[in-house]
Amino acid sequence: MIDVSYLSAAPEMMLVLGAVAVLMVDVFAKPPPRVHGWITAAAYLAAGASIVLQWQRLGAGGGGLSFGGALVLDPWAAAVRAVLLVVAVLGTLCAWEMLAGLGRRMAEGVSLVLVATAGFMLMGASVDLVMVFIALEIGSIALYVLAGIVRSSPAGDEAAMKYFLLGAFASAIFIYGGALAYAGTGATNLFDIERFLNDYLVARPAVILIGMALLVVGMGFKVTAAPFHSWAPDVYQGAPAGVVGFMAAAAKVGGFAALVHILFIGFARYQGAWSDGLAVIAALSVVLGTLLAIGQSDVRRMLAYSGVAHAGFLLTGMTAGAPAADGLLFYLATYSVMLVGAFAAVTAVSGPAGAGSSFDEYRGLGRRSPVAAAVLALTMIAMSGMPLTTGFIGKFQMFASAWDGGYEWLVIVGLAASVAAFFFYLRLVVLMYFRPGEENGRDPDAPLPLPVTIRWVLLFSAAVTLVFGIYPGPLLGLLTRV
Amino acid sequence: MEFPILSALVLTPALAAAVVMLIPERRREVIRPLGVVLSLLPLPLAGVLFAEFERGEAGFQFVERAVWIDRLGADWHLGVDGISLLLVVLTTVLVPVALGASMRVDHRVKLFVAMNLLLEAGLIGVFLSLDLFLFFVFFEVILIPMAFIIGIWGSENRIYAAVKFFLYTAFGSALMLAGIIALAFIHRDQTGELGFSYLGMLGLDLGPDAQRWLFAAFALAFAIKVPVFPFHTWLPDAHVEAPTAGSVLLAGVLLKLGTYGLLRFNLPLFPDAALDFVPLMAVLAVVGVIYGAAVAIVQPDLKKLVAYSSVSHLGFIVLGTFALTSQSLQGGVVQMINHGLTTGALFLLVGMIYERRHTKLIADFGGLASSMPVFAGLFLFIAFASIGLPGLNGFVGEFLILMGSYPTLPVYTIASAVGVILAAVYLLWAYERVFTGKITNPANKGLSDLSIGETLVFVPLVALIILLGVYPKAALDVIQPSTDAVLSRIEAVTEYRAPDPGGPGFVLSGGGG
Repeated sequence: MIDVSYLSAAPEMMLVLGAVAVLMVDVFAKPPPRVHGWITAAAYLAAGASIVLQWQRLGAGGGGLSFGGALVLDPWAAAVRAVLLVVAVLGTLCAWEMLAGLGRRMAEGVSLVLVATAGFMLMGASVDLVMVFIALEIGSIALYVLAGIVRSSPAGDEAAMKYFLLGAFASAIFIYGGALAYAGTGATNLFDIERFLNDYLVARPAVILIGMALLVVGMGFKVTAAPFHSWAPDVYQGAPAGVVGFMAAAAKVGGFAALVHILFIGFARYQGAWSDGLAVIAALSVVLGTLLAIGQSDVRRMLAYSGVAHAGFLLTGMTAGAPAADGLLFYLATYSVMLVGAFAAVTAVSGPAGAGSSFDEYRGLGRRSPVAAAVLALTMIAMSGMPLTTGFIGKFQMFASAWDGGYEWLVIVGLAASVAAFFFYLRLVVLMYFRPGEENGRDPDAPLPLPVTIRWVLLFSAAVTLVFGIYPGPLLGLLTRV
Repeated sequence: MEFPILSALVLTPALAAAVVMLIPERRREVIRPLGVVLSLLPLPLAGVLFAEFERGEAGFQFVERAVWIDRLGADWHLGVDGISLLLVVLTTVLVPVALGASMRVDHRVKLFVAMNLLLEAGLIGVFLSLDLFLFFVFFEVILIPMAFIIGIWGSENRIYAAVKFFLYTAFGSALMLAGIIALAFIHRDQTGELGFSYLGMLGLDLGPDAQRWLFAAFALAFAIKVPVFPFHTWLPDAHVEAPTAGSVLLAGVLLKLGTYGLLRFNLPLFPDAALDFVPLMAVLAVVGVIYGAAVAIVQPDLKKLVAYSSVSHLGFIVLGTFALTSQSLQGGVVQMINHGLTTGALFLLVGMIYERRHTKLIADFGGLASSMPVFAGLFLFIAFASIGLPGLNGFVGEFLILMGSYPTLPVYTIASAVGVILAAVYLLWAYERVFTGKITNPANKGLSDLSIGETLVFVPLVALIILLGVYPKAALDVIQPSTDAVLSRIEAVTEYRAPDPGGPGFVLSGGGG
C-alpha cells in the first residue's frame, strides 16, 4: 500500500508545473520574456504557499512519511525548502537578464532553474537513498545544462562538460555507496537502516561503513568539500555569471540537506565513525579552500575556493551531530543569501552572460557603482565572519557545536583559517575602495549599469546579512520553530 | 524606566554615521561641520555619566541588560565602572578632536566621517560591554572602520599598513574567540546554561590548566592590540600611514583596548594564571619600554618617533597592570588616559606640520620656533606632559606606576625607569632639531602658524592635561575603588597579598580604600 500525502511534495509539484507551463506556453504562444516571468513568479508563489501549508501541518503535529516512506515531511525538510525557495527567487532575478538574452531558448533556461530547484528541494525531503539519488540527479542535470546554456561561450561549454563528468562520477560513487549500504543492512530507507543498526549488533560493519563513506564522498562533491572540490573553480568561472550564484548555493543547500538526513537519521548509530571522518574532511576543506583562495586572480575562482572553506565550516558544525542541525540551517540560509548577493555583484561587473571575472575589473568599483561595491564588500566581510553580520553568527554556531562535541582542534584550525581568509576577502574590498580605477584604462567614474533585478537581489542580500547579523533572533526562531 | 544612558552612548555615534551616509556626497561643506557636531553628541552624555557616577563604588553602575540572542545566551549587557568610565570620556573627547582636525580631508568625506563615527560607537561599546560575546563583537568590528580609515585616507603605503593592521589584530582575536567559546561551555557545565556574562564568568571555578590556556588566549589578543613587544611591528606602519584622525584614535583609544582588556579580563577572570604570567608580562613590558624608547630616539621620521614612543609608554601601563599593587593599577589606568591625551595631541601636531610641509622628516625642519611660535609652544608643552613633568598629567601616571610597581617588581621597575629618561631624550632632542636654531631650509620660512581653528582643537586636550596634572584626585577617586576591587578579587581566590598601600603614592591617590 502506498500512502500518498500530496502536501509533502506540493512545493516541488508547483515548481515542476511551472516549468511545464513555461515550456508549453512557449511552444504555443511564443510570448515575450515578461510572460515567462509571470509564470515563474506564480510557480514560486504557489511553492511558497505550499511551504507555509507544510509549516502549518507540522505545527499542528502532522507530517511524517509518505510515498512509501520515500519522502518525509519534517521540520528540516520544510525549512530547507524555504531556504531553497529564497535562493531560487534571488537566483532567477539575478539570471533574468541572461535568460532573457537567450531568445528562443529562454523557456528552456527558465524551466531548468525551476526544475533544479525542485530537485534540490526534494533532496531535503528524501529519506530513501534511492529517492535521494533521483532528487540529486534532477537537480544536478539541470545545473549541468545551465552551466553551458550560453552556447556562444566556449568557457561555458568547458564548464558544463567538467561539471557533468565530475558530477556523474560523484553520482556514481554515491549510488555505489547506497548499494553497499543496502547490501549491509537490507534497506535503502534511512529509517529502516536506522532500525536495522539499532536492532542488530553488526559483527563486521565494514561493508556498511564503506557504503556510508561513499555516500559522504558523493555528497562531498556536491557541496564542494575538499578533496572533492576540483570542479568548482572551473565551473564557477566558466558558467554564465547570472546563474553561478544560484548554482553554487542551491547545490550546497541540497547536498547538506541530504547529508544531514543520511547521517543524522540513517547512520546515527555510527556517529563516532562519521564524526571523525567529517572532521578530517572539514579540516581539509577549511585549510585547502582558504590557502587556494589566497592565490586566485579571478573573483569567481576565489569565491569557489571560499565555498570550499565554507563547506568545511559547515562540516565542522556537523561533527557534533543532531544538536548542530539548527545552526547548520542558519548557516546554509545566510551563506546562500551572501553568495547569491556576491554573485549578483559579479554579474553586474562581468555582464549577464559573461565568463571569468578578473580581480582587475573590480578596481575602483566603489566609485563606479557604490551599491554593487558596498554589497560585495559587505558579503565579503560577512563571509570572513566579521561580527554584526550573519556570517559571524553562523560560524560562531558551527564552532560552538564542534567545541561542544569535543573537536576543539577543529575549532582552532577553523579560527586560524578564518584569519588567513581575511587576506582574500579583504583583497577585493581593497581593490574596490582603496585603489583608484584609472589603472586599467577605463574611465574611473563611468557608472556601471545596474539592472533593476540585480539591484533588488543586492539590496535583499545586504539587508538579510546585516539585519539578521545584528539581531539574529527572529531568523533563528523562524528556522527552528518548525 | 531610567534613561538607558549607556546604550545611548553606544548608539548615538552609530546613528550619527547613518545620518551622515544619507547626505549626498557633493554637499561637502555640510558634511564636515555636521560630522563634528554629530560627534559632539556623545560628549554631554559622557559628561552626565561622569557627574552622576557614584564615587567610592567598586561595582558596575548604570547597568543595562536585555536578552540579545536568546539561543546563544548572549545579552546586550552594559555597565560602567571606575576603569571604563574615564576611557569612555576620553573616547568622546578624542573623536570630535580628531574630526575637527581633519578639515582638510578632501575625498570621500562622507565615508570618512561615517567611519570615524562607527569607530567611536565600537570603541565605547568595547569599554561598556559586560557580556563577552558582545565585547568580542565590538572588539572585532572596530577593525573595519579603522582599516578603512588607514586604507583610504592614508599615505603611500596605506594598503600594506591597513592589511597588516587588520590581519595582526584579527589573528589575536581569533584565539580569544576560542577562549570565549570555551568559557561559555564551562559556564554551561557549571551553571546549567550557556552564557557570556562577565559577572557570571567571575563566579566560575576554573582549574589551573584551563586558566593558563584561557589567559594565554586572551592575553595574546590584548598583547597584540597594546602592542606588547614583540607583537608591536604592525604599529609603526599603521601609525605612519594613517591619516591624522586615524593616528589620533589609534594611539589615543584603540591601543587602550589591549591594556583595558588585560585589566578587565585577564586579571579578574584568571587570577592564578595571571600570577604565573607576571614574570613574562613584566619582562615583555620592560623590554617594550626600553626598546620603544631606544628606537624612538633614532627615528628620522617625526611620526614614527611618536609611534615608537607609544610602544614605550604602553609598556609602562602593562608593567603597572602586572605589578598588582593598588597604586600601580591606578597608575596604569591614569596612564591610559594620559597617553590618549598626549600622544593624540602629538599626532595632531605632526599632522598639522605635515599639511604645511608635506614631510615628516626631522632633518627637513629646523628653527620652526621662529616662524611658528604657537605651534612650537604647544609641541613643547605636550612633550613635557608626555615626558612626565610634574604638574602635568604624565607625571601622575608614571609616578604611580613606578611607585606602585617597586614593592613587587623592584628590578623591572628600576630598569623601566630608564625609559623615563629616554623619553626626555627622544622628545626634547626632536624638539631641538625641529624647532630651535636658525632656519636653514628656505622651505621652512614663512610657514603660517596655527590658525584659530587648529588651536581650538587643542583646548580640550591642554585643559585635561593640566587638570589631571594638578588635580588627579578627580580621576583617582573614580578609578581606585574599581582597581582595588580587581586586587581584592585576586587576593580572594589566590595566595597573593598585595603590599599595603603607603607613602606618597597613597597620599596622591587621595586616601580611602
